[in-house]
Amino acid sequence: MAEATQTQSEQSGDMEALYQARLSRYVTAMRNEKPDQIPIRPFVAEFVAKYCGFTAQEVAHDFDKAFVAARRCAADFDWDAVVGNMVYVWTGLTKAISLKYYAVPGIEIPPDTGFQYIEPPEDNAHMQPDEYDQLIEDPTGFLYNVWLPRVADDVSPMGQPTSMRNNLSFVKGGMAMMNYFQGFGTQAALLRGDSGTVSAISGILKGPFDIIADKLRGYKGLCMDMYRQPEKVLAACQAMAPHLLHVALSGADPDKNVPIGLWMHRGCVPFLSPAQFEKFYWPTLREVIEELWARGHQTLFYAEGEWNPNLKYIAELPDRSIIYHVDRGDIFEVHEAVGHKFCISGGIPNDLLAFGTPEEVRQCCKKVIDGVAGNGGYIMDASAIMQDDTRAENLKAMTDFTREYGVY
Amino acid sequence: MAEQEQSKRAPGVCIPWEEKLKELPPIKGDSELVKRVWEDVDGLGYVYIWHCLVSF
Repeated sequence: MAEATQTQSEQSGDMEALYQARLSRYVTAMRNEKPDQIPIRPFVAEFVAKYCGFTAQEVAHDFDKAFVAARRCAADFDWDAVVGNMVYVWTGLTKAISLKYYAVPGIEIPPDTGFQYIEPPEDNAHMQPDEYDQLIEDPTGFLYNVWLPRVADDVSPMGQPTSMRNNLSFVKGGMAMMNYFQGFGTQAALLRGDSGTVSAISGILKGPFDIIADKLRGYKGLCMDMYRQPEKVLAACQAMAPHLLHVALSGADPDKNVPIGLWMHRGCVPFLSPAQFEKFYWPTLREVIEELWARGHQTLFYAEGEWNPNLKYIAELPDRSIIYHVDRGDIFEVHEAVGHKFCISGGIPNDLLAFGTPEEVRQCCKKVIDGVAGNGGYIMDASAIMQDDTRAENLKAMTDFTREYGVY
Repeated sequence: MAEQEQSKRAPGVCIPWEEKLKELPPIKGDSELVKRVWEDVDGLGYVYIWHCLVSF
């Protein structure tokens, strides 16, 4: 028994040493410096389900299975950091509180299709065009009094009779949310202990413009508002910003090692022109990112889509305040424009990982590493979140090649 | 962020302590303790609605 305990202790020590080496590698790169080798931090979502034999329904609706699948992938692949659950929207909670803007795998859509967000109809948005003043005056009050009853079927509108289902929605929703978020803490400890893997991010940030587009006015409604009532849109972004900052800080890494994830949707071309980006999207988001950095937190700037036309604005951010994740933009152009200021991640096309060969993946990784990683400040990843079309052998090729070729 | 003061409810707050205090009888014990615990638990209500918006 004593011998077995000793062995376990030694294994635990080895795993902690591996964790510390990976954390150092990851953090060094994120500070735009040169680590011992290129860190690997893949954003693997429904990929983990397919790899482990689960359906998209299982990982979306049963977060324990999503956590298990993420840990199994972390143990099987030689990755430095992963997100504890990249299939982040737990649809068990969204159904428990009767949110109506998701199509859930196995319910509204087939069990092997990832969950989908449903844009509100243009004439029936979750916030009406004449409600900006209410939102601006009291964002939290607006969410409880107006928004939630509209998006959650069980929640009674203000002034209407209440119901058991209304009351249950808050009890179940609150307890379920706490249960889920606490699960991320346990997941981080298990990733660290089981495979020496770092939890890649902590906390969440959305841009004020994005959240108004996604959850309140809808993209089309907000586009009309930019022309019909631009001052209201700007004032709403300003009213939302301190709250989004607060939410981001509430989940941030207290040790200030890993960044806050910023998931951006509508600021890129062609959703907004660069002029609209400059006027509407950027001022308040920039302010939030700068405030986070002033408090010592980096932001993972997940530039989903094509953001290169906006690089001159993004370059205004303080050095090292963000990790710039490249999706559809030309990664070499990004490196030229902001590589001296920020760590860059991503750049391996998802269609290549889905439809290419391992050799083509290795060639692409070599090209990206040669082009942007020479002085450090680069993290290997696919361009976008990896869903179930990513082939395991291609992800293995990306991982193994980076380990072999990406040593400084 | 200067805009913070303009909002009716500050970030992290659903029912401000000052509003709740008016509903309570004169506090006979440690009022700071009552205030702190009120604000801590009230903050959970804030977390709930903002994460419904941002995370779900």
